[in-house]
Amino acid sequence: MMEKNQNNDYVSVSINRRRWLKFKGLKRGYYSFIALIILYGLSFLLPVLINSKALIVRYEGSYYFPAFLELIPGVASYYPGEKFGQDIPGEANYRRLKQKWEDGSDNWLIMPVYPYNPYEDITTEGNKMYEAPSRKHWLGTDNTGRDVFARLFYAFNISISFALILTLINYLLGITIGGAMGYFGGKVDLFAQRVIEIWSSLPMLFVIIIMSSIIRPSFFLLILIYTMVNWIFLTYYMRAEFYREKAKDYVSAAISMGQRNRTIIFKHILPNSLVPVITYFPFSVVGGISMLVGLDYLGFGLPPPTPSWGQMLDVGLQNVSKWWMVFSPVTAQFLTLLAIVFIGEGVREAFDPKVYSRLR
Amino acid sequence: MIPTFLGSTILVFTILQLAPGGPLEQTIMQLQMGGMSGGAEGGSAATDMMGGSVLPESAMKELKRFYGFDKPIYQRYLIWLGIWPREIKHRDFTIPSNKNQVEKRVGKRDGQIWRVDVSMNDKGQLSVFEKDGTASPVWHASIDETTENGTHEAVIFQQEYSGILTGNLGKSYTYAKPVTEVMRPRFKVSLFFGLIGYFLSYLVCIPLGIKKALKHGSSFDFLSSVVIFVAYSIPGWALGGVLLVLFGGGSFWNIFPLGGFHAPMEVWETMSLLEKIINQAHHAILPVIAWSITSFATLTVLMKNSLLENLSQDYIRTAFAKGLSEKRVVWVHAMRNSIIPIASGIGYIIAVVISGSYFIERVFNIDGFGRMAYQAILDRDYPITLGFLVIVVLIRLAANILSDLALATTDPRIRFK
Repeated sequence: MMEKNQNNDYVSVSINRRRWLKFKGLKRGYYSFIALIILYGLSFLLPVLINSKALIVRYEGSYYFPAFLELIPGVASYYPGEKFGQDIPGEANYRRLKQKWEDGSDNWLIMPVYPYNPYEDITTEGNKMYEAPSRKHWLGTDNTGRDVFARLFYAFNISISFALILTLINYLLGITIGGAMGYFGGKVDLFAQRVIEIWSSLPMLFVIIIMSSIIRPSFFLLILIYTMVNWIFLTYYMRAEFYREKAKDYVSAAISMGQRNRTIIFKHILPNSLVPVITYFPFSVVGGISMLVGLDYLGFGLPPPTPSWGQMLDVGLQNVSKWWMVFSPVTAQFLTLLAIVFIGEGVREAFDPKVYSRLR
Repeated sequence: MIPTFLGSTILVFTILQLAPGGPLEQTIMQLQMGGMSGGAEGGSAATDMMGGSVLPESAMKELKRFYGFDKPIYQRYLIWLGIWPREIKHRDFTIPSNKNQVEKRVGKRDGQIWRVDVSMNDKGQLSVFEKDGTASPVWHASIDETTENGTHEAVIFQQEYSGILTGNLGKSYTYAKPVTEVMRPRFKVSLFFGLIGYFLSYLVCIPLGIKKALKHGSSFDFLSSVVIFVAYSIPGWALGGVLLVLFGGGSFWNIFPLGGFHAPMEVWETMSLLEKIINQAHHAILPVIAWSITSFATLTVLMKNSLLENLSQDYIRTAFAKGLSEKRVVWVHAMRNSIIPIASGIGYIIAVVISGSYFIERVFNIDGFGRMAYQAILDRDYPITLGFLVIVVLIRLAANILSDLALATTDPRIRFK
């Protein structure tokens, strides 16, 4: 494949660029990729999009930015109600302040687009538990009177982050161990294979449930537990790839040049053996998200009140007449996974193009 | 295989036994809560403060013995396996400081009260004799502890070798029944769904995959691909939840029952055979769909890709070139090779399907194998938890063998040596 450069000369296209162009050419995957990247990026700005805190408050001449402060980790965004002349204990209620100041006051504030946050119990404001979707609460409220729409979006961020971190750690472990097994072979390989054999004969979900039932997991603890049981899968690929690559001439050349093991592994073999793991990446993320939703559903996932699709499903399925509690998380999960599956399909196609010839 | 089995059971056994909040702690807490009036409020705080001192020591000893926690962990494991004697029928007694022989009543035999003599030698070891002076074949005794004033707290017990190697999975804590008895009906339920879902997905996927491969790129291929993408992107149990909301009579249609394996027992007993079949099918439709949806997606794609790949091979070209009909080329030449990956997947899918699904069984409120294990973990019912593990690991190992057999049958290049 050739391409023109700035001087109008034809140059050959590097393999990675060719893959990228191929991926871009597969519209379904490419658009899913763009959409997901944008949505995931936006989801880090959720505190200013979906929040009960005001974006800007102007009170008696000074300006406050509570919602923006929440974006910066480690900075307190808490203002007591008294600060804005509100006679309530605890944090200021910006929605009420807005109503109060609406009739011709010098003070004003701007609320985020969707002025509810995923943790607040809004039954105190005349809302009910299990309220059906309405114009005020787009996807209704849940069993403790929290806004489902807000929780849905915060859960999106958490799910993707969880799956991404999980997959990256799994990859790091799987590639290192699998690579070492394939490269060093012999006793290392034999020993590691026995360990993996035992480890993989365990019903993994079962082990995760046992572990989570013993230690109430936090976000990172859950990732740790899940990593412990999930890195195995990748070692199979990496081990095979390293075995195959090590037998090739360029590795023999590198070894005879006296290069160190580390250089050979990371500089020479690794780039050549990444194709299967890269094509598997999106599907691994899909697995991570499904797992988190599943564990949350069983009650062994992230600790409450973390917004999570699985927890919503649990609430919804205990009472099937609350259809929005089931449809919202399932739809959200479905669309997210579908997008990732499309990306995965595109990546696979780009890295490992298969042309099927047919005679008839 | 055997090392694998031992390794995995040792691993889970250790995790379970070392875990805090085990059955011992739970029972202690329940007893304490029961002992305090209005124990629900601040109950856990109270236990924290008192730290188990509320129970008398003898009761603690009794409890520990019941759960087997009076032995070190490796012994517990070996007992569980059945290669270390399990102590049963414990009876406590005291040997006064001035005596080294006591008579102990141990129960009844042939309608008569059974007494044995326990004598202690100077090393503090106990031996049990029958009334006729011979050493007792069934009873053993040992000293638990010696008190300050010289009396010995001793225990007399029988021994038996009984563990998973002898087919005894132990007794469930929560159901107070042998584990096998708890498992059997639930296993049948999961087997029912598993096998139906399994055959159904093969029945649909193989023809569908073939048709997709033959019409690769057509609108049929495209449309069915959409369905497959959807099926792949939604976990079976979540789809089950959606189906339940739609058809289970919540807010939409009331077509299918909300869950359960079949109608409640009182109703079920009164039904005729035909009614039973209809009722069973009525209850099974939604769970079966949920059960088979995931394997449906993967199997169809596998079948399609495998056939497509073979159709682009040289030997197919040759077959066409020598003038064979398309039918013969596809069905005789290409299919024989394409079915290999499907066949070798049989074992894996069987293993997944039969070990039940925590999720689907929970969604549809089916009292199946997976749900039993889930509940056992919650209740810290170790015999059931471990029994489940044993069965699942065994099924997996059997499934691997089945896979190899299927592979060898379909692929003549592979021979068992």
